[in-house]
Amino acid sequence: MKMEELTPHIEELKRVIGEGADEEQIIEELNTYLNVYHVSVDAAKKGIMRKYGKDTPFVSAASITKKISEMTGDEKNVDLTARVVFIEERQITAKGVPKTIFSGILGDETGTASFTVWDVSKFVLEKGVTYDFRNAYTKMWNEKLQINFGDRSLAGISEKQMEAPERLLSASSDTKIAELREGVGNVTITGKILSVETKEVIPKGENAGPKTVFTGIIADDTGKIQFTAWNDFDLKTNETVCAKNAYIRAWRGVPQLNFGDLCEISRVDFILDVQSGANERSVAEIVRAGGGLDVMVTGAIVDIKTGSGLIRRCPQCNRSVLGDECAMHGKVEAVYDLRMKIVIDDGTGPLSAVVSKESTEELIGITLDDAVAMAKATGDNDSVYRKMEEKILVMNVFAIGNVLSDEYGPMMIVREIGKAAKDIQKEAKELLDKVEGAL
Amino acid sequence: MMSRETAWRIFAGELNSSSLEKKGEEERSPVYVITPLGTRLNRVLIAGVLLDKQNIGTDEEPLWRARIEDVSGSYFVNVGRYEPEAAAAMAGMETPSFVAVIGKIRTYRPDETRVLVSIRPEKIVRIDALTRQRIVLETAQATWKRLNNMKIALSMPDASAEDLAVHGMTKDDAEGAIEAAEFYGTPESSKYLKLIQNSLRMLLPDSDIDLGLPEEVTDLPDEIEIEERSGISDVDKEDLMLNILGELDDGRGAPMNDIKNRAAAEGISDTELEEMISTLLDKGLAYEPVLGRLKKI
Repeated sequence: MKMEELTPHIEELKRVIGEGADEEQIIEELNTYLNVYHVSVDAAKKGIMRKYGKDTPFVSAASITKKISEMTGDEKNVDLTARVVFIEERQITAKGVPKTIFSGILGDETGTASFTVWDVSKFVLEKGVTYDFRNAYTKMWNEKLQINFGDRSLAGISEKQMEAPERLLSASSDTKIAELREGVGNVTITGKILSVETKEVIPKGENAGPKTVFTGIIADDTGKIQFTAWNDFDLKTNETVCAKNAYIRAWRGVPQLNFGDLCEISRVDFILDVQSGANERSVAEIVRAGGGLDVMVTGAIVDIKTGSGLIRRCPQCNRSVLGDECAMHGKVEAVYDLRMKIVIDDGTGPLSAVVSKESTEELIGITLDDAVAMAKATGDNDSVYRKMEEKILVMNVFAIGNVLSDEYGPMMIVREIGKAAKDIQKEAKELLDKVEGAL
Repeated sequence: MMSRETAWRIFAGELNSSSLEKKGEEERSPVYVITPLGTRLNRVLIAGVLLDKQNIGTDEEPLWRARIEDVSGSYFVNVGRYEPEAAAAMAGMETPSFVAVIGKIRTYRPDETRVLVSIRPEKIVRIDALTRQRIVLETAQATWKRLNNMKIALSMPDASAEDLAVHGMTKDDAEGAIEAAEFYGTPESSKYLKLIQNSLRMLLPDSDIDLGLPEEVTDLPDEIEIEERSGISDVDKEDLMLNILGELDDGRGAPMNDIKNRAAAEGISDTELEEMISTLLDKGLAYEPVLGRLKKI
């Protein structure tokens, strides 16, 4: 290596070592590292710094240091200094074994990225603190950068504490509410605040005590979603806002939009055309989103789960009981109730749906009193279930409600359900036009 | 994940053309059939006309075999003691009548290359003509969508499922299309357009629908193809039958029920069996000593 090329490195070493730096000695040592041991310039510099007692926080020959915006998603071993913008503990199932991980968002002056700590025994991170991370690896997930900390990773509190980055270079992308799905970070949503209220919460992982947050529903022309604002953005019902750097987290199986520390809210003066009713979705779309708020699904009833039909409940705790014995309250005067858990399938996937008494009565055309009379006449509670099957299996229905997801797939708590009208002639003509047009 | 499988809307013509099976990647995941149009399925929702049904089991332990005809061919349905509810429902069904079936796919491999696909119903319901039309419409719409998905998948030979998702396909659609393209290549589109044409002719009887498809392509219903596949010549059949009669004869002739069961095990349909028996009787190779028994001469 030529002397001119080494000059900046020598200057850097002199600057770092400061007092007691001897330029000639540095040049000689650098020469030895580079020409005798044939190590990289970085390794040589680190070796020299260590000798002068200017140890860098971590020493590794193989890893490189990068800013978040420089990461490409295929770094095998990378160091970074970043601030923990958000962190939470999560339970996941890895290869069939339940496991605790930390996940959240890291930020530096160049951008933000989500991160995961796969071994929580390695280190504990605190929100708002800047760390020097070593031996991380990165991946792309859903086209977003993901920083991972595995067995070999280390973290130490950085000498240089960063401010929460004000402007993010990693683009906050314009997104419609219907396209939001779990795991996306950094989205820009323009929507109308349909409702907002304050709520006291005790945030996890912070010792600051209860915090006032603002929750409500925001809608655009494609759908609605529940939001939580972690700071007071002075949100008002019926105003249309543009929220930059919002992110999605699932809460109790339902995806939620979050306005955190990095979020910028601006008022928009155009009137957004928000659909007042429920938004139509296919089951596949709901599965992709991880759930949905106030959505409508149309499909065929393909199953009625056991436990549907005429049941008896404990009058005190509302639990379903067998005979007159409640698991909690012993012998009780059990009261009759009618309910259904059905599966609706629209050809793109199945959706479980829990249907209350009122909706059940309406759909099957049998009241609770009718059902009780039927069961008494036949001496068989299952007769109601069989009647249900006869009346509604394969029926094309629309169902409206909130959908949450768990390991068994999506489930809707039905607010409204009814027989769906289908204009067969019209749809057949449309299909004919499409087919003829394509041939 | 133990989540439930989608009930795919599919015509018999597409289902019966399948010869690719694949076990899912996850533990305890079921076997999927992948059709030439890339439907990766384990469960179906179908509707049609129940044409014939036969109990090839016993009264105590019924095993129903039935054929349900749609616009293109027959679905083959087997229901037995593992689905007591569906078996009971089948017992009460009249032929002919409109029915809908929600069921799981079963495959049978008579040899290396062929896969026979049948449906094992979870639910069988009597439906009205309007419900049948609705399901036929949904199936035609789904078939059209799959034809288009295949076109896209075939035009992008190295595309991943994620690449195809950009074109409006779900993950299931995209994965199925890629697997089908790899295994079957380009589907015989006129065959599937014919299914759509037949549906539309049924749904829009007043429109004179002609998609200009070569008429002979799929005029042969699949069932014929399958029965021919059994590959036994008439002479072999006679020998086989005579052997069976000899085997089952307890001195008073072979009981008809046992003959039916044995024939079913050999892959002979009941209709076929009846024909064979009358041939044997005509030729004087067998006779009926008493009603319900058959004896070799």
